[in-house]
Amino acid sequence: MIEAKPHISGPAPRDFFIDKAPQPLYFLEYFSFFLNERTGLMRRFWLAWLAAAAIVPVACVQHHTTTIAVIPKGTSHVFWKSVHAGAVKAAQEQGVAIVWQGPQREDDRTLQIEVVQNFISRGVSAIVLAPLDETALVRPVEAALKRGIKVVIIDSDLKSGGYSSFVATDNYAGGKMAARRLAELIGGTGNVLMMRYVEGSASTANRERGFLDGMKEFAPAAVLVSTDQYGGATAESALQAGQNLLNKYTSLAGIFCPNESSTFGMLRALETAGKAGAIKFVGFDASGPLLSGLQSGKIQGLIVQDPFKMGYVGVTTAVAALKGAAVEKRIDTGVRLITPENVGDPQIKELIAPDLKRWLAEEK
Amino acid sequence: MKNLRYLLRMLGPFLGLFLVFMLFVGLAPAAFYSLYNLKTIVTQTVIIGIGALGMTLVIISGGIDLSIGSVIALGTVVAARTLNLGGTPGTLLPLGAAAAALAVCASAGLMNGFTSAKFKIVPFIVTLGTMQIARGVAKWLGREQTVIAPPTWLNSWMEVDPTPAWLIFSPGVWLLIILTIGMTVLLKKTVFGRYVFALGSNEATARLCGIDVVKHRIIIYMLCGLFAGLAGIMQFANLTVGDPTAAQGMELDIIAAVVIGGGSLSGGEGSALGSLIGALMMAVLRNGCNVVGIPNYVQNILIGAIIIGAVAVDRYKQRMPA
Repeated sequence: MIEAKPHISGPAPRDFFIDKAPQPLYFLEYFSFFLNERTGLMRRFWLAWLAAAAIVPVACVQHHTTTIAVIPKGTSHVFWKSVHAGAVKAAQEQGVAIVWQGPQREDDRTLQIEVVQNFISRGVSAIVLAPLDETALVRPVEAALKRGIKVVIIDSDLKSGGYSSFVATDNYAGGKMAARRLAELIGGTGNVLMMRYVEGSASTANRERGFLDGMKEFAPAAVLVSTDQYGGATAESALQAGQNLLNKYTSLAGIFCPNESSTFGMLRALETAGKAGAIKFVGFDASGPLLSGLQSGKIQGLIVQDPFKMGYVGVTTAVAALKGAAVEKRIDTGVRLITPENVGDPQIKELIAPDLKRWLAEEK
Repeated sequence: MKNLRYLLRMLGPFLGLFLVFMLFVGLAPAAFYSLYNLKTIVTQTVIIGIGALGMTLVIISGGIDLSIGSVIALGTVVAARTLNLGGTPGTLLPLGAAAAALAVCASAGLMNGFTSAKFKIVPFIVTLGTMQIARGVAKWLGREQTVIAPPTWLNSWMEVDPTPAWLIFSPGVWLLIILTIGMTVLLKKTVFGRYVFALGSNEATARLCGIDVVKHRIIIYMLCGLFAGLAGIMQFANLTVGDPTAAQGMELDIIAAVVIGGGSLSGGEGSALGSLIGALMMAVLRNGCNVVGIPNYVQNILIGAIIIGAVAVDRYKQRMPA
């Protein structure tokens, strides 16, 4: 490997390299050698360019309507499917095209940044974005604004002021609505427990704040025995935390949980402890198990958001901004209280089980 | 037969990249081959590309590093935590943050190399363990949430439009190019590079030839950790926050890039340039799918098919007579 060198005492400085020090342009030399001698790629290139020349004009024709990119946090949750359906409805009414594209791996900030960058490159007219992170998505959004693309933020806020509008649920109001319902249920007195979701989640923190303020307002006599415990990110961890809390606080009148996983975990904890139905329980979000809990009397109230409206208003606001119309900086898409009494109403049914097929099938 | 084998090995990655690119030139709107989109694609190649360079070294030596994604996440958190130490960071603190991230990631690599080489545990298991450990340490350091850091010059390293416009590509892209050249020289032109190939081709023979196997394995994994650290700094520049959940599953993208680029998981084969092409191919694929508006499940299927196709080519190469 190494050529014999006479009269060398100790390692020669050049021993690191096999024979000679690399030339500065070694890499380029290697690369061009690679292309020409080993692959014959250069000789074949003309064919490829010919192919490109044939395809390019075809590709240029198909791009003239207003295109709006709608970027959710993920694509497989029912919540985001409803947002998608709302966006499709708005697009059909407004006569624009939408492209629906979430991060390829759900909840991956890097991939969502890439999706935003790719739509900037493509030159869409506007972007409707549900940012996965209030800080990490700031720069890509600013890059879009710099290139004249209108941005509407939905669902979660972004730490940047340049976007046209923020269309989302008023989570604080949702928390307050839950407090009003729970205060009615417990008659304004008794021990109340709130199990939080996770640290650093802005939307649920606002619901929790709204609930605490609401309890002060609607049930000043009630005692908040525990409000600082977290259920964690999964239903499994929320179940364990819920069981621990139920063991510790034995005489509870009411419970509030601020999202789907914590509500479901607490529901399971109540069931395993045999206390389901005995303690008044108000949760957030709707899913199959939570709705059947509501119908069987284990849950007395669920606060739900309106994702369909979020997608719909997100796109219509983007279109308005593109037309130069004045748009409101903050648009509330509203929350609704579902109770065992009103769960059968057609309006509520439309909210918790929107006709996704009608909108999403037509898109194909 | 010999010609075909040569063609497959040398042309494979380029041909694949070229085919994928032409596919999207046909499918996507004209914006796909605009300069701005090309800049976007190469910027998105940086993190996986730098990781793939380190992984190339490990894979040529006959090893594997599953911890690289977690180590990248650890790098982002260490960088963000370090930036939070001082009041307003000037020029020096970001350098210190980068150095800290590199040091932590290199020591994770050192741990991988030392444990697998010294105690003769297969690297698959050791790095599988490190994957969990590094992820855990990242979450611990980040207090189980993203670490917000003050804005510094580091953040501009992954901008698609770099601030001095004459750079054309973001500084991260230039770093990737320099590192690729460096890794090519290291692999092709140095004694160490020869040792890496020797270890991957036949470890027993390498030992009999007088190569210090343990020492070189440790250096190889440490270098891989160092590249993971650089990728972590780029990831931090990209996110502007330290994210303990970042790069989840990225180790598989990185290994795929090396394999697509002609690296053989049985060791002894691979090149820096090939891995770069592999990383570029995956970025083109993602970007193209986005620009065309292809749903995610098609992207998953496409990327999966390309990985299997690349490994099939790899096996085909192995079967053919030398």
